[in-house]
Amino acid sequence: MRATYLKKRLIPKLLIKHRNLGRVVRPVLVTTHRFERTVEIGDAVSQAKIYQAQMADELVVLNIDGTPIAGDAVMLSLIERLAAETFMPLSVGGGVRTVDDFQQLLEAGADKVSVNTQAVESPSLIYEAARRFGSQCVVVSIDFRVEPSGEARVYVEGARKATERTTVEFARHVAEMGAGEILLTDADRDGTGAGLNLVVCRQVADAVPIPVIVSGGCGLAEHFIEGFVEGGAEAVAAGTFFAFRDQNPIQTRAHMRNAGVPIRMET
Amino acid sequence: VSPGARMRRVVGLVDYSAGNIRSIENAFLHAGAEVVRVRRADDVSSCTHLVLPGVGAFGFCAERLHATGLRPTLEEWAFSVRKPLMGICVGMQLMADGSEESPGVAGLGWTGGMVRKLPAAGVRVPHVGWNTVRFEHAWSGIPLGYTADYYFDHSYAYHVPGSGKSIGMCRHGEEFSAIIQRDNVIAVQFHPEKSQTAGLRLIEAFLSQ
Repeated sequence: MRATYLKKRLIPKLLIKHRNLGRVVRPVLVTTHRFERTVEIGDAVSQAKIYQAQMADELVVLNIDGTPIAGDAVMLSLIERLAAETFMPLSVGGGVRTVDDFQQLLEAGADKVSVNTQAVESPSLIYEAARRFGSQCVVVSIDFRVEPSGEARVYVEGARKATERTTVEFARHVAEMGAGEILLTDADRDGTGAGLNLVVCRQVADAVPIPVIVSGGCGLAEHFIEGFVEGGAEAVAAGTFFAFRDQNPIQTRAHMRNAGVPIRMET
Repeated sequence: VSPGARMRRVVGLVDYSAGNIRSIENAFLHAGAEVVRVRRADDVSSCTHLVLPGVGAFGFCAERLHATGLRPTLEEWAFSVRKPLMGICVGMQLMADGSEESPGVAGLGWTGGMVRKLPAAGVRVPHVGWNTVRFEHAWSGIPLGYTADYYFDHSYAYHVPGSGKSIGMCRHGEEFSAIIQRDNVIAVQFHPEKSQTAGLRLIEAFLSQ
């Protein structure tokens, strides 16, 4: 029996670095640990095809070098190949600075574009992009670290630089500016498998009317269930979990269904 | 294999610089069709099917489409010659008279009525993700009562077309039309090109028209 309402989403993250091989630059798929210590794990297109066969609901693709996406032939041709070889939604970010960057990524085959550093430095980009492409196209990726005081501080530039903004207040602001989704990542939990930050996720989910994708820390299938049930997230994104675990999205999906989370079970 | 399946299908993608046309092209190529881009009236002469895509704000898409001058060509195709045409996402919404998203901007008016903002009544808007469509009418080999999950990504919806009929319904806070039909025009709010097996199946049903 099919649940006839919107399903929760399982989203593998494809983190991309540019690797200079002398004559050519190639995109390589990596995993990260607390936004540092990257490990190369292979080819993004092959991995995306595997995730599609395993019924992933969507893919998040991030250029974690944060180099400008404008005219980045390596990233743009990677997006073109992903769009040609999979039939699933692609949310793409990393180094997005202008409305024209949105245009270039959408033309290459992205369905949604995420902004991170520029959302803090120039929030009017969110408004301009939403007016031109619609809110449903605009994702704001918020990286945060929890301070000793308990405050969840927004970080930019690959979570290396602290900002003046606090996470819940900033999430509310970007939703008002026209963001269509928030990708919320606890940088200190990234790659640790220690579980999602359910407290901050719930605070953000309660503060905004738009969907929240929570990320950073999935190590067990139970962590996904917690993200939906306790965190109030619409989607959970994970990189390391799907790349290294024996678990694949189909098995994780079965866990979720058994826990009563509405999830797509058949194509 | 039915005799129709071997026929040459040439899909004309209306290219008015509004959206992710490449993904739609890839999906139709995968389904075995040839694809051409339609920018001028002459471009439709080799086509067996037309697709009207659209991603972006309603006003932006409507202005871009009107600026191409293709409207009479599309209307002759759809309602005089009555050949198959599929609208996708904002390509569906453009068939209304207008949209709350862009007050004062006229749509194509093919199926009448207004596109309205989805109410955030107990649900999050935009409506993003996989949701179930229930077929209220049989269409192109898909039976009445068939259900499938497709990928949606929108804040505005076409609740009640003024003319034509709702083939498929979806619910997010409230019911809205996920698939509408008038003559040989079919239009979908979701993204078949992003809906994996279920989406490719729908594209094949359209190509068999």
